[in-house]
Amino acid sequence: MLTAAKNQLRVCFLSIKYNIMREMVNKVTFLTNVVFMVLNDASILVQWFILFRLRDDVGGYSLREVLMLWGLVAASFGLSNILFARVLSLPDLIINGKLDAFLVQPKKVLLGVLTSETRISAIGDLLYGVILVCLCKPGVGGFFLFLLFVIMGALAFTAFALLLGSLSFWFVRMDILQNQMLMGMINFGTYPDGIFQGDARVLLYLLMPVGMALWQPAHVMACFDGKMFLAVLGYVLLLSVAAVAVFYRGLRRYASGNLMEARL
Amino acid sequence: MQAIKVENLSKTFRVKRKEKGMRGSVKAIFHPQTEEIRAVNGISFSVKEGEMLAFIGPNGAGKSTTIKMLTGILYPDGGRVEVLGIDPTKKRKQLAYRIGTVFGQKEQLWTHLTPYDNFRFFGAIYDLSEQETEERIVELAERFELSGFIDTPVRNLSLGQRIRCEIVASLLHKPKVLFLDEPTIGLDPVVKENVRELIRQMNREEQTTIFLTSHDVGDIEKLCQRIIIVNDGQIVLDDSVDHLKHHYLEKKDISLEDIIVEIYKAQGEG
Repeated sequence: MLTAAKNQLRVCFLSIKYNIMREMVNKVTFLTNVVFMVLNDASILVQWFILFRLRDDVGGYSLREVLMLWGLVAASFGLSNILFARVLSLPDLIINGKLDAFLVQPKKVLLGVLTSETRISAIGDLLYGVILVCLCKPGVGGFFLFLLFVIMGALAFTAFALLLGSLSFWFVRMDILQNQMLMGMINFGTYPDGIFQGDARVLLYLLMPVGMALWQPAHVMACFDGKMFLAVLGYVLLLSVAAVAVFYRGLRRYASGNLMEARL
Repeated sequence: MQAIKVENLSKTFRVKRKEKGMRGSVKAIFHPQTEEIRAVNGISFSVKEGEMLAFIGPNGAGKSTTIKMLTGILYPDGGRVEVLGIDPTKKRKQLAYRIGTVFGQKEQLWTHLTPYDNFRFFGAIYDLSEQETEERIVELAERFELSGFIDTPVRNLSLGQRIRCEIVASLLHKPKVLFLDEPTIGLDPVVKENVRELIRQMNREEQTTIFLTSHDVGDIEKLCQRIIIVNDGQIVLDDSVDHLKHHYLEKKDISLEDIIVEIYKAQGEG
């Protein structure tokens, strides 16, 4: 059991290593992808600096808290796209019968699929998030808490994308819904939760994992709350288990296909 | 002993249907219509260990669907499958350690990596130690004559070199059964002959059971002892290649290709 898990991890790490090796073949593209993603993320912060010159708080957040929230969202999204970027192509893999190569391997299909692509620009997102949080001087404990929440956030992003992508086993063009919901998760997640009230707030806790995977962790980083920490952990685990269950349930309906294809 | 045992295997796909034009598209939103297509319809057969079997049929006959159910890619709707005594629907991973697959139309190798790096990755997938992987790469690279391009990225290889690498990748873990789905598609006659010789050699030396689907009669004639022809998801002929040739050639002077075309046509008319 332990050996099987060790071997599975070895394959996952090798897969990610080879993904990164592929991107590093072209040094200039690799570096510009990373650097420009950092700059691109940083440019969006200008509006917040202007806003906080006019007001002391927005939706109950200070500038420091907004920066921490941004750091958390960027780093979580980045980590998810470094380790599990293929989740974003899942609808294409399902609809066009491209899961075959993973299904004939003696390893977990889902882990094989998820780790088979790395988005290099995501390294820029992760770096940006870490730099931003370091600038907020969270202290050693605060930084470790941030790292924990980044891992949970990455899992939540991946699980949410997996859940939506797996619906492709039943419905076509779920890539559109998956893309819109993930964009929504990032967009809403980078605003202070205090500005959303009533139904909108309920939806952002129930329909998208924004509330529990991003806002609450930001609150816990600002003021530690053990119960909320455990609640976030439980929520992410539940979301992940549900997403994995939907994927494997759907896999039974997988119809493969006869398109000519190459594993790129 | 039987390497593959199939009983009443069936698979149905549900396919969407829509009337022509924009009107049909709008109508399909409110009244979606689907049609059931029986890709495999209650087939039964078995394959002995070490046997080389050609599983052929016209396009859409159900060959690939069957091979995909045997390898655990697709779930059957009905019937039973056992490959090396393992049910692919229940123990897909366990089975994957003991079988190899080559899909001529679908690349399993990572095109940006060299064949060597690919083999190392496949070694890890099959839980081989670094030493075991190295030894097996050396052995197979020599047998399949890969030394000239083993360090060239797969995307820069010719089709023939790539197919040889695909076969090597599928053999690293010494599978007992090898599923070959059109392995010689698009290859020139010389490369085809090389690939066939390598498959023959592997069957001879490692007693690997070969389950082959191909539209190339040369593959069947030069590799297989037995032939199963499927059409419309059903087995229409299960015979030895020698007997088939003998039976038909007694009547008229035709090639195996003509015989197969005649059988396809007879089934189509029937």
